[in-house]
Amino acid sequence: MLTGTWQPVRINSLLPDSHFASSVYLRPSLFQIASPLHSTSVPPSSRSPRLNWSEQIDTGSSVVNLLSISKDSTMANTIRLYLTCIRNTLEAAMCLQNFPCQEVERHNKPEVELNTSPELIMNPDLICRNEAEKCLIETPINSIRISMKVKQADELENILAKKFLRFLSMRAEAFQVLRRKPVQGYDISFLITNYHCEEMHKHKLIDFIVQFMEDIDKEISELKLSVNTRGRLVATEFLKQFI
Amino acid sequence: MEAEEEYLEAEENLEAIITRIEHKSRKIETLLKQSKPVDALKTALEGSALKTRDERCKSANWIVVHRAVMAIKDVDGMISSLDPEYYDILMKYLYRGLATGDRPTCDQCLRIHEKLTEKAGLGCILRSLSDTVNTV
Repeated sequence: MLTGTWQPVRINSLLPDSHFASSVYLRPSLFQIASPLHSTSVPPSSRSPRLNWSEQIDTGSSVVNLLSISKDSTMANTIRLYLTCIRNTLEAAMCLQNFPCQEVERHNKPEVELNTSPELIMNPDLICRNEAEKCLIETPINSIRISMKVKQADELENILAKKFLRFLSMRAEAFQVLRRKPVQGYDISFLITNYHCEEMHKHKLIDFIVQFMEDIDKEISELKLSVNTRGRLVATEFLKQFI
Repeated sequence: MEAEEEYLEAEENLEAIITRIEHKSRKIETLLKQSKPVDALKTALEGSALKTRDERCKSANWIVVHRAVMAIKDVDGMISSLDPEYYDILMKYLYRGLATGDRPTCDQCLRIHEKLTEKAGLGCILRSLSDTVNTV
């Protein structure tokens, strides 16, 4: 069901084609995460090959690695704590069971989306890392909705994050657990139902979500760097004619 | 008639609760001056009125607990000296702290959350999520 092939897609006019096209070609690695969820005994190390794709980006990739090492040493601790907190909360909260709809006969709906019966919904949990990043976890009896707001330091990151996450949300079918529209006030949302928990391993679902959160930040900074590098190259070339 | 009586009783209780919280905050200030953050936290957590629905009481209590939590430096020592019956209450307050979005509060709450989960287990988290009667 999940394939590694992609056609190049023109996302928008704001960014040059090659940027998104190159990241689209390399996107298959993101989808490969979802396939181990179905198998019974795939070790987590099977995910590691996907990290090598960062070296394949054409411009400025080596610069990216150098920068990320120096900046992350202090932030590494807080992000580790933030992700541990989210992982623990998800492990506790992901106990879902089948629950047919109370309002409509013979229907089975994720109660988090309906929001009609307060007795079925547990207290929502908001976990903030700082003013910009937060994660809302809502858990009724048969589904979990995890909404995330990613860090957006400036206008460019704002635009990149919006485009990139919209790109992923539109392909929500392939991810299965992604929601097509994020919840109001957040950037991206996951919806996990009891059927997903029955088909897939719970700990792998949690691993997927935490890995996703880790990688979103990295990918947006890499996109930003390649946009800036390309802009600088283009401007240099263009202005050379005036020298 | 009975509803009115209950309402009046609840009103009195609110005032009693708020005075109690003020007493607590004064005690906590003295304990913090004596550099006993662990005792300060214990005082803040005990006697929290969980069953009340009044927002003012909850906010007042939260301010007191927040003060005690931010003063904690040694997380491991604090958790090992805390009674198990306070784990659930502390977890609920930690989630309230994480919801504020204020950076130093969130940092401190995340640190304590990790250690508390190791000690108290996932059940503590689940009880804080599912308990709608005793809310913080």
